[in-house]
Amino acid sequence: MVKAVIMPKLGQSEETVKIVRWRKQLGETVAKGDILFEIETDKAVLEVESFYEGTLLKIVAAEGVTVPVQTTVAFVGDPGEPVPEVALTPVAPKKAEASRPGAAPSPQRGSAVDRGPISPPPQAGVGPAGPCAVAAPAAIAEPQLFRISPRAAKLARESVIDPAPIVGTGPRGRIVERDVKQYLEAQGYGRLRISPTAKKLAAREGINLLSIEKKLEGSQTTVADIERLLAERPKPLSRMRQIIAQRLTESYTHAPHFFVTVSADVTELESLRAELKAQGTAYTLTDFILKAAALALEQFPTVNSTSDGESIRLHSQIHLGLAVALEQGLVVPVIRQANELTLAEIHARAQDLTAKARAGQLTPAEMTGSTFTISNLGMMDVENFTAIINPGESAILAVATTAKLPVVKNDQVVIRSMMKMTLSSDHRLIDGALAARFLNSIRKSLEEKSLWQRLT
Amino acid sequence: MAAFDIVVIGAGPGGYPAAIRAAQLGASVALVEKEEMGGTCLNWGCIPTKTLIASSELFARIKTAGSMGLRVDNASFDYAAMADRKDQIILKLRNGIKQLLKANGVTVFQGSASFQSRNRIQVDPSVPDVAPGFSPAPATPLGSSPGGAALKGGATAATVILTAGKTIISTGATSAMPGFLPRHERVVESRAFLGLRALPAATLILGGGIIGCEFACMLAQLGVKVTMVELLEDIVAVVDADVRRELRRHMEKTLGIRILTGVTLEEITADDHGVRGRAGQEQLEADLLLVALGRKPVTSSLKLENAGLAPNERGFLDVDAYGRTNVATVYAVGDVTGGPLLAHAATAQGLVAAENACGRYLHKNETLVPNCIFTTPEIGTVGLGEQEAKQQGRKIKTGKYQFAALGKALAIGEPIGFVKWVADAETEQLLGAHAVGPHATDIIAEAAVAIRAELTAADLAHTVHAHPTLAEAWMEAAHVLMGEPIHSAPPRKEKKSE
Repeated sequence: MVKAVIMPKLGQSEETVKIVRWRKQLGETVAKGDILFEIETDKAVLEVESFYEGTLLKIVAAEGVTVPVQTTVAFVGDPGEPVPEVALTPVAPKKAEASRPGAAPSPQRGSAVDRGPISPPPQAGVGPAGPCAVAAPAAIAEPQLFRISPRAAKLARESVIDPAPIVGTGPRGRIVERDVKQYLEAQGYGRLRISPTAKKLAAREGINLLSIEKKLEGSQTTVADIERLLAERPKPLSRMRQIIAQRLTESYTHAPHFFVTVSADVTELESLRAELKAQGTAYTLTDFILKAAALALEQFPTVNSTSDGESIRLHSQIHLGLAVALEQGLVVPVIRQANELTLAEIHARAQDLTAKARAGQLTPAEMTGSTFTISNLGMMDVENFTAIINPGESAILAVATTAKLPVVKNDQVVIRSMMKMTLSSDHRLIDGALAARFLNSIRKSLEEKSLWQRLT
Repeated sequence: MAAFDIVVIGAGPGGYPAAIRAAQLGASVALVEKEEMGGTCLNWGCIPTKTLIASSELFARIKTAGSMGLRVDNASFDYAAMADRKDQIILKLRNGIKQLLKANGVTVFQGSASFQSRNRIQVDPSVPDVAPGFSPAPATPLGSSPGGAALKGGATAATVILTAGKTIISTGATSAMPGFLPRHERVVESRAFLGLRALPAATLILGGGIIGCEFACMLAQLGVKVTMVELLEDIVAVVDADVRRELRRHMEKTLGIRILTGVTLEEITADDHGVRGRAGQEQLEADLLLVALGRKPVTSSLKLENAGLAPNERGFLDVDAYGRTNVATVYAVGDVTGGPLLAHAATAQGLVAAENACGRYLHKNETLVPNCIFTTPEIGTVGLGEQEAKQQGRKIKTGKYQFAALGKALAIGEPIGFVKWVADAETEQLLGAHAVGPHATDIIAEAAVAIRAELTAADLAHTVHAHPTLAEAWMEAAHVLMGEPIHSAPPRKEKKSE
């Protein structure tokens, strides 16, 4: 029996989802649990598994198409079974998405590097995509009126140059062989020295020989030079980096950030942590910071809010995001209702989520809905740093490395373990005084050993 | 005290060309040498061995000349005369270097150099006994060459201090003689061996590297019973496996050399009657033990620490691609820097270091260095090896052509061995070349030019090669690599099912 594959609803806020890649091809056998396709939400790229087994009979929503959740994107069934007709209603991609470098078509062939001057003219009459417009990228338009004789084109191709800048003197401005020859001479082509393999590589990769920068006058262009050029070619960012780029740029340009830094004396806390560890519970410093932040957020609900610049939405729940660095980027799993969790529960939750993040196993629900975020670079040996607010929140706490420092206590210079924390705040909601009070509340909690003795 | 822009320490194939090039670039140059002009290469290495090998190869060919229609009966040789000829050639070349240095205005100091500081160098009169190994040549029981002493130039009478703008260290390397070897005049390394005036009847060679194999072939051709012991699983491990196989087959089958690999020589003893050792279960005995266990750098007398220089854990001086050591004004070239331990590599590095030291413009040491082995058959290799490429995970294509299929090789009566190209699988860029067979050491030059110029197999295959020559083998092998051989069977095509 034919079964419809439905785009899952991933979280509270997701209304539309973009299919970035089909992992199964039409006609391929699908087992239960196989990855069918990859989707991209505002926050991450995810894999969608099949609930059914059979053959992929029809793909309704192609790669690059953005569709509303709960719509049919494909059909799975037995080979030869009739498939019902379904009208797809794709939605227009968000503007930011459409202009991203990754949305460009696959690496350009031909004289790609030096295409600049002959990029296609702006396409008049193509307005914003209507409801039926599919986000599939248009192929690179070859210049329609680029007139060149076959002999001239052959000479340009054999010389591994881009004929675009050549001014044609043939009928109706057509480039003829003579024009290419004159151009080569004018450009000093005869003086170029390039090894045979380097030339072959350049031709294959579409590198215009005239665009290669000279190292030393008279030195030969080698395979190593071409390989360097190839390595320098722009490559699309990974999907994760594209999402990071989009979200953080949006945050940093929309929310006016300001920064407040304090130094917390964690000498006592560290000694308590060592005691607890000796007793068998290895809390991390992050656990204490998470709990201290949850306590402070209860006290200062404005910090636990969101704004669009015109209204403020105070969140009733405290969901703490915890930035986790991965090789390929950054993810922010969420500890939900952190204010209602004990330190031990926070510890368990943080360990679990961090491990899942490193294994790439976080579900969309585990990555969405945070109301405040903590980024701890303590293990990276930094004195201090500032973080960019996670979009949809009003502040983020950046925690630096704990270091033993000489500090003045009771007019005495003593050695204490000090930890700098910097709060980045959205000034539309939070003023300096509030940021200072909030941050000092966290600091005081961390410095209060008796509090933690009670809470552990 | 004398001041020089450039002081070069060591007048081997790295040092003296560096001195000449620096002088040509207008620098005032001092060249310090504690022994002989030309270093190991000219006096105790390349030149003397190749002179002797030329004699031994000719002798071997005369003995087999019957196959080419010649009748030469009762051929014999006089090793002392061969050694004399060798000494005369050395003397001639050595004088040639002296004249070149003089003509270029290089001041030569005969003595032993050491650093007082990074730019002050002390030159002491040479200590007479500087020969590596355990005994200077004269005491060998089989007679020794008088050449060594007679050819010496005048030594510095008293200590001299030189101040140097820049210094180029090219002190070379010497044979490694591990402590487990008995100290006896019947236990020699290559340099002491070259001082002999007569041949032993049987020789045991410890070490199956390049030097060991060259000596083994030469001695076997002159009728010496040769047994070679190598710790590794095969001889000349630096070359490709198929090249190795070809060489070993000829050494064993044609020259009758016994080769024991993957085994150590233990319980080595030497007395006035001969040398003995045990390889595995077998007792070996000979008149002489030739030790060829590699080379170690010569730095101990330099007092490197006074200049702030520190050799690496293997004793070599590390240099960057421009020949610079960790001290800005000190360069090093040749064997003392490790690397391929080849005279031509040292010369190339010497010229680069001289030009860089003179501030002409910076250029890097060439990394493509051909390696020639003067065994019978000869071996020439340059660039990437087949196994090396596989280790790197690089996709390659190869093209091989047997000399047995080449007219010229048959005509000269040496249809043995092959040439082989290694090329990038995709671009067919020529990356390595390996030749074993007649004149392999000469024809490798073409391959080196092709690889350095980044030619593709097609470029090489479409270059017209003169007929009939041995070099045609490269062209044929390039055709093979491209899958369109002319003078060998076409690659097997998969049968199409109808």
